[in-house]
Amino acid sequence: MPIAQYALRKLLAGIPLVIGVTLVSFALMVYFGPDRTYELLGKNPTEEQIAEVRSQLGYDRPFAERYAGFLREVVTFDFGYAATGEPVATLLARTVPVSLLLILPGFVLGHLVSLGLALLAAYWRGRVADRLIMALATVGMSVSFVIVMIGFQIVFGSSDWLGWFPVRGWSTDSVGEYLRYIAVPTLATMFVAIGYDTRFYRALVAEEMTRDHVRTARAYGIPEARIFTRNILKNCLIPVITRVMFSIPSVAVGGSLLIESYFGIPGVGRATYEAIITGDQPVLKAVVTLTAILFVLVVILNDILYRVVDPRVSLE
Amino acid sequence: MAAAPPVLRVRNLTVEFATDAGIVRAVDDVSFDVAGDETVALVGESGCGKTVTGLSLLRLVPEPPGRYAGGSIELAGRDLLALPGEALPAIRGRDVAMIFQEPMTALNPVFTIGTQMADVLRQHRGLSRSKARAEAAAMLAAVNIPDPDRRLDDYPHQLSGGMRQRVMIAMALSCRPRLLVADEPTTALDVTTQAQVLAEFRRLQQEFRTAVILVTHDLGVVAETCTRAIVMYCGSIVESGPTAELFRHPRHPYTRGLLESVPRVRAERLPELPVIPGRVPDPGRLPAGCRFADRCSRVQSRCRDARPPLQPVGAGVPVSVACFNPW
Ligand SMILES: Nc1ncnc2c1ncn2[C@@H]1O[C@H](COP(=O)(O)OP(=O)(O)OP(=O)(O)O)[C@@H](O)[C@H]1O
Ligand code: SF4
Ligand SMILES: [Mg+2]
Repeated sequence: MPIAQYALRKLLAGIPLVIGVTLVSFALMVYFGPDRTYELLGKNPTEEQIAEVRSQLGYDRPFAERYAGFLREVVTFDFGYAATGEPVATLLARTVPVSLLLILPGFVLGHLVSLGLALLAAYWRGRVADRLIMALATVGMSVSFVIVMIGFQIVFGSSDWLGWFPVRGWSTDSVGEYLRYIAVPTLATMFVAIGYDTRFYRALVAEEMTRDHVRTARAYGIPEARIFTRNILKNCLIPVITRVMFSIPSVAVGGSLLIESYFGIPGVGRATYEAIITGDQPVLKAVVTLTAILFVLVVILNDILYRVVDPRVSLE
Repeated sequence: MAAAPPVLRVRNLTVEFATDAGIVRAVDDVSFDVAGDETVALVGESGCGKTVTGLSLLRLVPEPPGRYAGGSIELAGRDLLALPGEALPAIRGRDVAMIFQEPMTALNPVFTIGTQMADVLRQHRGLSRSKARAEAAAMLAAVNIPDPDRRLDDYPHQLSGGMRQRVMIAMALSCRPRLLVADEPTTALDVTTQAQVLAEFRRLQQEFRTAVILVTHDLGVVAETCTRAIVMYCGSIVESGPTAELFRHPRHPYTRGLLESVPRVRAERLPELPVIPGRVPDPGRLPAGCRFADRCSRVQSRCRDARPPLQPVGAGVPVSVACFNPW
């Protein structure tokens, strides 16, 4: 079966999964989410007023009907209006690209650099370079992300120190401006990612080094450096892909929320943070739902990538 | 015989491993030659150092925990143990190649057969991608793999064990090595496949005129395939000589013990060497004298005091034996 067909099948198989996660997130929102009735009514409402507002909000309808309405919102991408009066779809279209521009470079570079360092550490195993790399990783892992952000902001941003990059804020007026603004958040993300990922990747490489096929490659004169960058690397990609894919949701939500609030960047993370503070239900509903769908997509994409790198995974 | 000059000259090879129980000498003062047209069997009980000896011939013993504690391995005139590490890739696969016991794991699971074979050819023979591929296909055809062009695009898991071992043989011979080390190449295969692969192996070694060291448990295979045999015990050679002479007149009590059961071995095709009563001494606490003494029926008092050196038996017989009281 060609890969495109396989991908299509996986995507179709993901539909029930999407329905499942939206059902769960909707149920959670209905039973645990904020109730806007009292917010709209002010103090001491009468029974009739309450009933009227609840029916306006649709709270009195049966669960199935409300869920169907919710699904319609998801499919048509029409989540209503945010508390500010801006349509939720517009808000997302404005903030999501900002977050992607902000998060992606650090995310991609973090994993790439970690993998590179892990290969180098394993190649120079037991030597000074190995110890230095692993010491750096230990520091990256031990220091809290918030401390790293503050530290990097001072070191790279403060005019008393290096003063190379802006301390906070956001601009995409030109490529140069964009790079200057993402520099500190990106470096901070990478630093922490290197801490966690290098250790994990080095262990993967070290385990792969003991495989028989590595000995075969050596026995046939493949140079050591090539064995690492090709034979071992490709075998490691399967667990690497899983780690990368499954860190996407947490980085997309948690990471962007933290970074954007801290550096004052108008992305979807900060919008979510504000929505949580103000109880802006349409925005939260959209974010929770899209995150759930993102998770399902990640699982599907993971399966497809497996197939690409591991010939042993059957297409059937 | 032995008109051809030696391709391989091993002198006093000693390999040690650092283990939790201390230093273990896996190969102890081993010396032997292999001429360009020979197939030499390496036989002996499990753990006697056959694989470590074979790996040493490519300087492939993992260091650490392994260490070449002494000796020399001259391959085509160069001492492998004296070369800098960077010089080894140019020799491995080109001058000396190795076939491993386990065909299931010896090939890389995520690359096609064609890619892996072409890698080796490109490495040593500087072929272009398309030339290397054509050559790989020709090698697969040479080991009688049907439909070689299609097989090139297969991944190892798509082939049977016997097919994979044929691929290994094709890869090993593809750069025309002077010496081929085959470490129990058929042990992991079923009996029918074993016979087929061995027949293929014998045919090819004649066609390619490669010197071969065949590590095996199967004395029947030794008799059918090998011109000469080296019998190892506890890391050292106890007897070596032409196969015919060794089978006709085994001199070392250990060799004799192995061979006495040969007809039975061949009838039943035992996967293991015949069992000789007694236990191999603990490598950490080897006796001062002959290491076979505790199991030997001809043991004398001097056997306990000193180790018998490996010496030619003389009288024009090209056999060497390490025994004070040989048959
Ligand atoms: N990586 C290693 N670390 C420690 N000891 C080792 C290592 N490799 C081999 N040895 C030791 O070297 C000795 C010889 O092992 P070797 O694998 O050469 O035996 P063998 O004759 O090939 O046995 P078999 O017939 O079971 O394959 C054994 O005692 C083993 O414990
Ligand atoms: S030297 Fe002695 S103990 Fe050792 S094999 Fe010969 S006879 Fe037996
Ligand atoms: Mg072995």
